[in-house]
Amino acid sequence: MRYDADLNFVYAHTPKVAFGVNVVADLGTYAGEMGLSKAVVITDSFLAEKTDLLDRVKQTLGPLLAGVFTGVIPDPTAASMDAGAVYAGEQGADSLISLGGGSAIDTAKGIAVVLKEGGKILDHEGYHALEGPQTPHIAIPTTAGTGSEMTMVTVIKDPERKQKTFIGSFHLHPNLAILDPTLLTGLPPKLTAATGMDAMSHAVECQISSLGQPVSDAYGIEAIRIITNYLPRCLEKPDDLLARGRMQIAANMAGTAFSNAMCSLNHAMAHTLGARHGVHHGTANAILLPHTMRYFMDVSAVEFARVAVAMGIDTSGMSAEEAGNKAADQMEQFVEAIGLTDRLGDYGVTEDALAGLADVAMTDGTIIYSPKPVFEPQDIVEILRKVL
Amino acid sequence: MPIDFPGEEWTAAYQNAINTSAEYKEAGKDWTHGAIAFVVPKDPVVGLEEDTAFILELHQGECRKAWISTVDEAKQQPFCLTGSYSQWKAVMRKELDPIKGMMQGKLKLKGNLPIIVRFVKAAQVLVELTGSIDTKFLDE
Repeated sequence: MRYDADLNFVYAHTPKVAFGVNVVADLGTYAGEMGLSKAVVITDSFLAEKTDLLDRVKQTLGPLLAGVFTGVIPDPTAASMDAGAVYAGEQGADSLISLGGGSAIDTAKGIAVVLKEGGKILDHEGYHALEGPQTPHIAIPTTAGTGSEMTMVTVIKDPERKQKTFIGSFHLHPNLAILDPTLLTGLPPKLTAATGMDAMSHAVECQISSLGQPVSDAYGIEAIRIITNYLPRCLEKPDDLLARGRMQIAANMAGTAFSNAMCSLNHAMAHTLGARHGVHHGTANAILLPHTMRYFMDVSAVEFARVAVAMGIDTSGMSAEEAGNKAADQMEQFVEAIGLTDRLGDYGVTEDALAGLADVAMTDGTIIYSPKPVFEPQDIVEILRKVL
Repeated sequence: MPIDFPGEEWTAAYQNAINTSAEYKEAGKDWTHGAIAFVVPKDPVVGLEEDTAFILELHQGECRKAWISTVDEAKQQPFCLTGSYSQWKAVMRKELDPIKGMMQGKLKLKGNLPIIVRFVKAAQVLVELTGSIDTKFLDE
């Protein structure tokens, strides 16, 4: 049994979430209710210059807008967070509004810490080391995947150490998340698929994490069911607001689940591939996930059998292992069907690089929540080789 | 005879336990990342009247020095773990997994998490070694 009588956990259900078509128009009202008066928007130059999303945010904020920082980069670095904090400080910001994917939200979390605590972001590395509330932060995700609007962690790429590091604290949760399906209709197909599979990976990994509990299980399983049904629909019809909205909800639920239960080996490898070779986080998670599932089948077949049911597989008459393997097979087909057929070689990864990647993945913060200890780098090499 | 936790005598006993452990010598042989500090905030209910801290200067499978310190000195170390008296007691009695405790906010880590993760086996041994000390807890 995965849980015993000694089960104990701390579950964080935050922040408040506002969901609905055009709900972003209420941002100014929410900000006013929160007592904010000088908000700096944290976004990237593409969203600012090539879409109307920033204009929609500016319009609703009106005089509450103090500035716009467009320096968000994919896989945000400590330097990008520190630069954002300098900018926000110069504008006299009393709050932050992140507009974008996980990178924008994570950048805003980092800026929130530096604005409140001073110094530079890497001065605050650690878990639960922050001693009080940080700068107020409203998150407006424009992808359906990272769930970062619900998590207590910011992921920081450290170019010097060539790996990703983390700051985690209950004080890092944004104060409000605004989920508006209309913000997603312009998301390109490949990004829709990759970010959706990031959410899928969160949801599946929660099922087997050593920190899992019944609450995160429930959120994760429902997220898997929704993603299976609605991610293909988003790709077929990008302006389907029902499907886009369902994906936002699924990503949000999976984010809540993994913020509490944590991810494991799959994310450890994906973080490493992102830091070392620029492989998109969602794509890396997607192509690795079926193989990671098979790797853990000896200890997590029952959990993967539940994943199979959530994916719509008729498991009647199957053993847990048969159903779990079926889930892994179907996951592989699903990933291919939504167009994520990348191989690591496409990003310049060679056989010679695998051992080094495995060594770095062994130090990723998520690996310790794997359902069985991963002590041998060679195990990781073999998984990576399957997608080389 | 049981030794009061925390205190000079307990810290010395812990250093000795580490330095006589073949398991730690192996698990920590590549550790070159400096000292680890532990902070126990005051808790008059259990009889701890002052904030207390101690520091282990660990290097390549050995504890070169262990001492009771001020909280300020502890916080200046590369790694600093803070937890209430009852949480440390639970860790030492193996009632609380330290990694789980860290994620739940029961133990607070200041420092680079990837380094700790790389040495998770060594960390496990360090925790297990606390159980080898005949400890007297203040509230017992």
